[in-house]
Amino acid sequence: MTTHAHAIHGTVTTRVPAEDLERVTADLAKTPGIRLADMFASDGDTTVLRLVWVRDSGYLLTETEIQNDHYPPLSDIAPAAFVEECEIYEQFGIRPATGKPLNRLMLPPHAGPEFPRLGHRPAEPLDEAHAPHTVGGQAFEFPFGPVRQVGVESLYYGLVTSGEEVVDLYLFAWHKHRGVEWRLRGRTPREATFWVERAEGLSAVAVGWAFAAAAEAALGIAPPAAAARTRAVALELERLYNHAAATAALCQATGLTVGQSAAEIALERLLRVNAAAFGHRYLFGVVSPGGADRAPDASLLRRELPGAYGELRRAAEALLRTNSFVDRLEATGILSAEQARRLGLVGPVARATGLPVDARLTADGPYGEHPVTVVTAEGGDVLARFQVMLGEAAESVRLIGEFLDAGTAADRTALPRGGGNGLGWAESPRGEALAWVALDETGRIIRARLRPGSVRNWRGFDDACLSQNAFTDIPIIEASFWLTAAGLAR
Amino acid sequence: MPLWFIRGLRRGVVTTRYPATPDGSAAALPTPPAFRPGELTRDVTDRIVAVCPSAALARHGDVLIFDAGNCTACGRCAAAAPDAVTSSGEWELAATARSALRKEIPILGERS
Repeated sequence: MTTHAHAIHGTVTTRVPAEDLERVTADLAKTPGIRLADMFASDGDTTVLRLVWVRDSGYLLTETEIQNDHYPPLSDIAPAAFVEECEIYEQFGIRPATGKPLNRLMLPPHAGPEFPRLGHRPAEPLDEAHAPHTVGGQAFEFPFGPVRQVGVESLYYGLVTSGEEVVDLYLFAWHKHRGVEWRLRGRTPREATFWVERAEGLSAVAVGWAFAAAAEAALGIAPPAAAARTRAVALELERLYNHAAATAALCQATGLTVGQSAAEIALERLLRVNAAAFGHRYLFGVVSPGGADRAPDASLLRRELPGAYGELRRAAEALLRTNSFVDRLEATGILSAEQARRLGLVGPVARATGLPVDARLTADGPYGEHPVTVVTAEGGDVLARFQVMLGEAAESVRLIGEFLDAGTAADRTALPRGGGNGLGWAESPRGEALAWVALDETGRIIRARLRPGSVRNWRGFDDACLSQNAFTDIPIIEASFWLTAAGLAR
Repeated sequence: MPLWFIRGLRRGVVTTRYPATPDGSAAALPTPPAFRPGELTRDVTDRIVAVCPSAALARHGDVLIFDAGNCTACGRCAAAAPDAVTSSGEWELAATARSALRKEIPILGERS
C-alpha cells in the first residue's frame, strides 16, 4: 500500500497506483477483520475509482486514477464489488479489463446518449438485459414484477426454477431509478439534504446523517453534541418503526392476519410518536449538515414511547409462541457467516449470521458516549433475523432514554465556505449507510455518492433464496431482509 | 337482519361518517402551506419559489401558482417567509382531478 495516507474524521485516505490496485485489493480482501463496504467512481480530468474498506478502528478509502477505461476485475478478488462494477460501467463507462459479463442494474434499457449520467457513456452500451443465466434441464425462467402487490415497490425478479425449488434469482431495479446522485450536483449540502432523505425514505435519518457527516468531514467541522444526540434519537426511532414494519411484513408473508394487525397497530403508534416528537412520521427534516433542524419533544417521548414499544413487544412475544409462525421462519433463507462476509452484507442480515457488523461501533459522538450493545444470532435464517430485530428494538429504547437524559437540541455548526472531500456513515435499520461528498471551493457538490444499506444486502437476497427454499418462502425471506428497491435504484 | 343494513337501504347511506371520530394525531402532521396574499410581493414570492425543492411553487406575473400535488409539506417556504406563509393544517388533499390540486394565489402585497 502506498503513499499520501491521511486521516480525517476516522477515515484514512490513500492513493493506490493503478498497477498496484489488484494486489492491494487482494491483500485487503484476505485480511481478517476488514471488509469492502463500497466502491464508486467520480469524473474529473480523469476518472477516479474509490474503494471503501471498514476496519475495527474506522474506514479506509483508496483512490486510484483509471486510464483507458479499464481496471482490474476486482469482483474476482472481492465478490462484494460486482454490483458496483456494473453500476460504474453504466454511469462512467469504465469496466473490468477482462470484459466479464456485467448486469444491467441502474439505468433502463432505453437510456440513450442523452440520458443523464454521472460520467461518460459506455463505449459499448449493455445490450444484454442481464448477464447470461444458464437455464438447463427442466429449469425455466419465471418473470415476476416489476408491478407486484399493493404497496410494494417496483422490482423485477427473474426466478429460475424447476417448478418449486428456486435455482437462481436475479433482480432489476432500474424501473425506479431517479438519478438522485446526479440531481445533487451543483447544490449546497443543505439544499441537497431534501433529495438525500428521499434516496431511501425508510432510512431518511440514516442516509441523511451519513451525508451530513460526509459534508462535515469535507469541511472539517463537527455538529454540536446535543444536536448529534438529536440525530441519534431520530435514528433509533427510525430503527424501531422499521423493525415493527418488518414484523408486520413477516406476518403478512406467513398469512397471520391477526399478528399482522397487531404489528401494524404497533407500527402506527410508533409513527405517531415520531410525528408528535419530531413533526414528521418518517422523521424527514431532522438531520441537517452541521447539526439538527428539529429537536425532539423529550417529555412526550418519555411518556409515549414505552407504550408504543410495549405494543410491538407484546405482538412479538405472541408470535414467538405461535408454532405456525415460527415453523415458517426456522431454517428458511439461511445465510452463513462466510456468505455474509464474502458478499459484504450489513445490518440485521449480517448480525443474524453471528457477524457483529454495526456502523455505530465505529462512530464517535453519541455512540462513543453511550455505546450500543450489538445484538447477534447464530442461525442465519429468517428466525435469527427476526430475533436480532427484536433485540435491537429493545436496545433502541434503552439508547433513546440515555440520549434524552444527556440532552438534545436543534442546533447547527455553521458550514464554512470551502471545498474538500469527506466520508460519512450511520447505521440504518437495514445496515450501514455510507456517503461520500466532494465539494468545490464555493461549497457546492461536485460528486456525492450515496450507499444505503439496501445496496449491500440485495446481493445476499438471491443467495438466501436458493437451495431448500420454495417459491412461498421468498416473501418471507424478503420481509426478513426488509430492504427497499429505492435504496438500490436511487 | 342487522339494523344498520336496513338503515342503509332506507337512507341510501352505506358507510359511517368520515371521520367516525376526530383523529387527534393529525395535528402533529406536517401540512402544505397557506398563503396570505396581502403579504406576498414579487420579491417574497420569488424567494419562496427559490427555496421550494419540489417545484410546487411558481410565479406567473402577479400570480403565485401552488401545486399541492408536488408539495411535500417540507416547510421551507414558511421558514423563508413566515409573514406570508403559514401551515394550512389541511392534510386531506384527495381530489377527483389532478388540476384541482393547482391553486392560483394573487400577489397583492405590492399594491397595498
